[in-house]
Amino acid sequence: MHDAGAPSGDTAPMTVLRFDNVSKQYPGGHVALSEVSFAVAPGEMLFVTGHSGAGKSTLLKLIQLAERPSRGAVLFGEKNLAKVRGGKVALHRRSVGVVYQNHQLLMDRSVGENVALPLILRGMKRGEIGKRVRSMLERLGLAARERALPSQLSAGEQQRVGIARALVAEPELLVADEPTGNLDPTLSAEIMALFAALPERGTSVLVASHDLGLIKRMKKRVLVLDQGRLADDIPPEDLADA
Amino acid sequence: MPDGTKRDKRVQSTGVGAWFDHHLYSLVASFGRFFRRPWATLLTIGVMAVALALPLGLWVVLNNVQRFAGEVQGSRQISVFLKDGTDAARANALAGELRKRADIAAVTLRTPEEGLQQLRTRSGLGDAIDALAATGDANPLPFLLLVTPSGDDLTLAESLRTLPEADLVQHDAVWRGRLDNWLRFGGRVALVLALLLGLGALLVVGNTVRLDIQSRREEIGVLQLLGASDGFIRRPFLYLGAWYGLAAGALALAMLTAAWMALRAPLADLASSYGSGFALQGVDQVQAAVVVGGATLLGWIGAGIVTGHFLRQTRPTSH
Repeated sequence: MHDAGAPSGDTAPMTVLRFDNVSKQYPGGHVALSEVSFAVAPGEMLFVTGHSGAGKSTLLKLIQLAERPSRGAVLFGEKNLAKVRGGKVALHRRSVGVVYQNHQLLMDRSVGENVALPLILRGMKRGEIGKRVRSMLERLGLAARERALPSQLSAGEQQRVGIARALVAEPELLVADEPTGNLDPTLSAEIMALFAALPERGTSVLVASHDLGLIKRMKKRVLVLDQGRLADDIPPEDLADA
Repeated sequence: MPDGTKRDKRVQSTGVGAWFDHHLYSLVASFGRFFRRPWATLLTIGVMAVALALPLGLWVVLNNVQRFAGEVQGSRQISVFLKDGTDAARANALAGELRKRADIAAVTLRTPEEGLQQLRTRSGLGDAIDALAATGDANPLPFLLLVTPSGDDLTLAESLRTLPEADLVQHDAVWRGRLDNWLRFGGRVALVLALLLGLGALLVVGNTVRLDIQSRREEIGVLQLLGASDGFIRRPFLYLGAWYGLAAGALALAMLTAAWMALRAPLADLASSYGSGFALQGVDQVQAAVVVGGATLLGWIGAGIVTGHFLRQTRPTSH
């Protein structure tokens, strides 16, 4: 099993994200994750796949600190997320850009206002926020839609707004949950191309998807979850045979 | 891991400026939400205002009763009615003797003629008294000594009763004591009512803000996932609660002022018919500011409690 970013010898390579024997059991007794270990290197893009209920969503929730592990440790850089409490939870979440399958846009705020949110949360100056938002919208082909409400956009445009919002604050890690779930193949390819370009800018990308065709085409590392266990960790070079 | 420090430098915070910006934004946005559902808002404010106006009204009434009782009690005078047959010279001499006593602060002698004149003006029986006077009957009123004690009035009243010239000594200590007790009881009732109804107002704001939180749960969830701090999420609700409190406080004052205006003139007429210049007092500017400020704080606290509870429920757990 490939283990990118795992310690080797005396020098441990830096990682953006690291799961060490992480398990998650929900109050009803359902085990969503069981002893999952992997690491994400800086500037790496990888996929997490598996059937429904395999644990993909729980894995993403643990990264965002929407849930905490029952056992094991999730490390974000050198920071153990178990020790992130209180107000620091919000600070951690600002370091992770998240793209949701259902966009999670605020429907009563304009495209520009939605994209500006992470910058407002960071307390950035108004003028700088405007510049960054416009630049990000231009990059995603949404410049003309800045003042539109999300309800006035197509599904593809809404998804791009979600991506713009996730990227505008230049997070260290971008996590995407089924980002192309509702999109046609052309748009899916466009969005994946956008994600693939992010590592060059220093952003690591973790995409949860069950679209195997898309995953194969991207030729990136793939983590395969099965009933909460990490069943496989396939490096890009092996993907053609997977 | 990527150079997080470098990133943080690129996405700089402006600290106080941004904090102030968000406060301003929350203040204005919450004001907008305040008017978004006018009927619901009006009902909330109405219920709160009544809850505030009741103890406040009771307090105003007690304040006025206390003031009125103060006027009565302020004199602490003992009335000594002299026996029939006591002439003016003896009455004057007795008044002079009493003025020399250490336990007496002042003595006023009221002649039967002065008494009759006072009765004529205050009782409204002027015509009847004139008619009686016309029959040639002598003035039936005795000389009256109005004694103001300088020390213990009960002991002095007992001592005055032993004077050979004294026919009747009138001292309303028991009545005054009872009035004091009633006023203290009324004050305590107002305080208990204020606490209970204040709690009610707090719950009304809390419930309204809770409903607002429920209707914005999804939005709050998104903001939390994007990294909004508890303060960022709490702020608009705190301002909303404060707006409710402010409006309810102002409405409660308006209700009391309307009641005061309606009662002021008839009460003044009533007091005047008893020869009193008593006027109903409302709430002054400082008291009004305290009421509105207190109601605003109440709204803020109510919203804070509910929002805090909601935020605690949304913390990530390991179980």
